[in-house]
Amino acid sequence: MEDAPPELRDFPQARKLRRVRAKNPIRAWFDVRRDRAGSWAFALNRLTALGLTLYLFLHLAVLFLLTRGEEGWDSFIALAKTPFFLILDVILIFGVLFHGLNGIRVTLVGLGMGADRQRTLFWVVTAVTIVLLTISAYIIFTL
Amino acid sequence: MADVQLSQTKQGQPRSSAAGTIWLIQAFTGVLLVFLLLLHMIAHHFVVEGSLRNFEQVIDYISNPLIFTITIIFLIVVTIHAMLGMRAIILDLNVSPSTRRVVDWAAVIIGIIAIAYGIWLEVVLVSM
Repeated sequence: MEDAPPELRDFPQARKLRRVRAKNPIRAWFDVRRDRAGSWAFALNRLTALGLTLYLFLHLAVLFLLTRGEEGWDSFIALAKTPFFLILDVILIFGVLFHGLNGIRVTLVGLGMGADRQRTLFWVVTAVTIVLLTISAYIIFTL
Repeated sequence: MADVQLSQTKQGQPRSSAAGTIWLIQAFTGVLLVFLLLLHMIAHHFVVEGSLRNFEQVIDYISNPLIFTITIIFLIVVTIHAMLGMRAIILDLNVSPSTRRVVDWAAVIIGIIAIAYGIWLEVVLVSM
């Protein structure tokens, strides 16, 4: 606690968070005791960030197949349309939707817009993610 | 409330001005990505027969000079956003100052390699 800035030393909540953080920083992501919605948003934002970054590099690597011409690329396209890859697509779309919509929420709140409604905004983000994900999954598996 | 959000991280530590700048870059690139990714989805999936471009369709698409440019901007913006994000996640693990320097440089170097590779790939494909 000694390393906390002076203005925070009398903040019991900050003290509690710092203790968790010092012991296990990853666990602090999921410490939902103080602010359930905000903590879930924070944890999910980071989990989707890790997934999307992994996807970005895989995607860039797979694009190398384009240098092999029609043969290399079009056989990958056939593979990408198999049910297993379509399920991965739905997971990817979940990550993109949640991370993007929550990112807009974080940006708005961080810039001082709707800060008093950030919890409501989180539920809006969740609802819009679920609706758009359902529509996307339907389109992916039927068209 | 708004001031608290701007000046503190979730763990309640005051942000340095550099961290504030990085936060703004993340927000700015993030908002850009919403539009760039939407364009990417429309162009590569929504308007394409069969929902995925075949080889010929990909080459046709990126051979358009405007699309070629937008694709490179997309690559740069998404790489900056991803590298700053990964850096933030790692630095939140309370790493030592020396590890922090390594993480900073790794983010820069990996980002530059990814961008250089992407531009190289696009140039090769357009000239095929």
